[in-house]
Amino acid sequence: MIVRIWGTRGSYPVARTDVLRYGGNTTCVEVRAGERCLILDAGTGMRLLGAALAQEPDAPRQYDLLITHTHWDHIIGFPFFAPIYDPACRLAIYGLGRTRSSLRATIANALSDPLLPLGLEHLRAELHFHEIDEGCAFALGPLRVRTARTNHPYRALAYRIETDTAALAFVPDTGPFHTVLFGDARIEWSGAPVPNTPAELRELAALRDGIIDLARGADWLLYDAQFTDAQYARFPHWGHSTASQARAIAEAAGVAELLLFHHDPHRSDDELDAIVAAQQAAARPGLRVRAAAEGLVLRKGPA
Amino acid sequence: MQVQFWGVRGYVPTPGAAYLRYGGNTCCVLIRGARGEPLVLDAGTGFCQLGDALLEGPFQQGQGELTVLISHTYWDHILGLPFPGLVHIPGNHLRIYGPDSTRGSLELVYDGMLSPVYSPVYGLAHMAATHDFQPVSTEPFAVGQLTVRALPLTRRAHSPIWAYRVEEAGQSVVYITDVRYTDDTIWRQALAFADGATLLVHSAPYMRGEAVQDYGHSRVEDAIELALESRVERLLLYHHAPTRTDDELDAIVAHYRAELAADGHRLQLDAAREGPIVPL
Repeated sequence: MIVRIWGTRGSYPVARTDVLRYGGNTTCVEVRAGERCLILDAGTGMRLLGAALAQEPDAPRQYDLLITHTHWDHIIGFPFFAPIYDPACRLAIYGLGRTRSSLRATIANALSDPLLPLGLEHLRAELHFHEIDEGCAFALGPLRVRTARTNHPYRALAYRIETDTAALAFVPDTGPFHTVLFGDARIEWSGAPVPNTPAELRELAALRDGIIDLARGADWLLYDAQFTDAQYARFPHWGHSTASQARAIAEAAGVAELLLFHHDPHRSDDELDAIVAAQQAAARPGLRVRAAAEGLVLRKGPA
Repeated sequence: MQVQFWGVRGYVPTPGAAYLRYGGNTCCVLIRGARGEPLVLDAGTGFCQLGDALLEGPFQQGQGELTVLISHTYWDHILGLPFPGLVHIPGNHLRIYGPDSTRGSLELVYDGMLSPVYSPVYGLAHMAATHDFQPVSTEPFAVGQLTVRALPLTRRAHSPIWAYRVEEAGQSVVYITDVRYTDDTIWRQALAFADGATLLVHSAPYMRGEAVQDYGHSRVEDAIELALESRVERLLLYHHAPTRTDDELDAIVAHYRAELAADGHRLQLDAAREGPIVPL
């Protein structure tokens, strides 16, 4: 398995001098195994992936795009991914189906007037939409895929991608599993935590168990570490975790390496370095901690 | 009056070392009048950076009021609006002027963009800052001491693109983006609108002869021709293509400056860059 990280940022892309090392593009990760090319999320990093594919001799023509959820930072690279305009390409798109809007309609509406001058009919590639849910398991060639639900507004998916020799867990957007339980409804936030009911606490514990199970023994865990403690205290209703919360999940799941992910747009490279150093110092022996960086390539087992 | 660019890129943001000198955030321009009142043109991702910078002063206390003029509702002109810190502070107020589009008002566009499918805000009603939307028209209006005029430039069957002209004390900034001059009527309207401007900010992502998929954009040559014919003092090329690196933009500016000089024109030409304040 080869994993290439094309976008690491959360909320919105940032072009600034102090984010050059970890990158300013929003979430997009490429996973290759054999002939298969799987793409996790369609943030602005997806434009860079498209540009790299155009330079690759014998680049794949079939792609599986797995979307965790359709918040803007996870889809804004999609119309800038060059292969979608190539009639020789085929793209299978997986994501949550919603009562409010089908996956197909959610993508189509985002691309259409008055937001953009495109419609799905302008995309020349062959597109297939697959609505999936938490608790799914399916195979894409040599890659085995599993899903779990995270604790994020309007729900989001996490993915485990596995071959016989390597496993990646992708959890870009989740709040911690206390304080707030997210579902489809908006969480009112008055500035002070509302105590959870026993039923909510049980559901939060089940969500946490589900995420830990998804990440169990993975080689790499890419996990939401957007917030500092101070940010979490102010915006718990946004559904993001801190680096120490990410580390706690990594330790419970026994992963080999934690890659902090979905970096806050304000977080500079130097601040991320300091956060990584603090988490590495606190980590249980055997756990390696890094921050995901644009351009980083991870390899294990046969390509 | 002074001008500061917070986003100069068109289509999609381009973070990275190759784009640092001109900038990689999408469309957003700040104009300040002599009394310092802020006026913002478009709210691409540059607005996220601007909004954080404005947090010094009244916006930090929830006492700020900001006027934003939207040219049209494509992603690279509106997506930054709900993110910066100032919109999360109750008491701040956004007054947003923009097109009453063919598919619903600007307010409906934003409400849809912030629906739970796309955003954790769950709709406009839950944005902490208050806001009001004003459909823009050709009637001039005032923002503090600044006078604003607007001109609709129709493109294909879609919603109009609005051009803006901001004036104070005999100086004028004209902002025209995402326009393709497909017929003489639009061209003549734009000429009259830009007439004698101190500064023309004009989208120009491509050069004549470049093989690009055209979504209705003007070329560098169009912007220069408009600036010359309307006797503009200074032209800043804007809405740079995502593939355009700093070095390429340097070369484009040098090339067209040399052409202007060879023809004896006095038009000052540059490419818009994020950061420095442009005094008029």
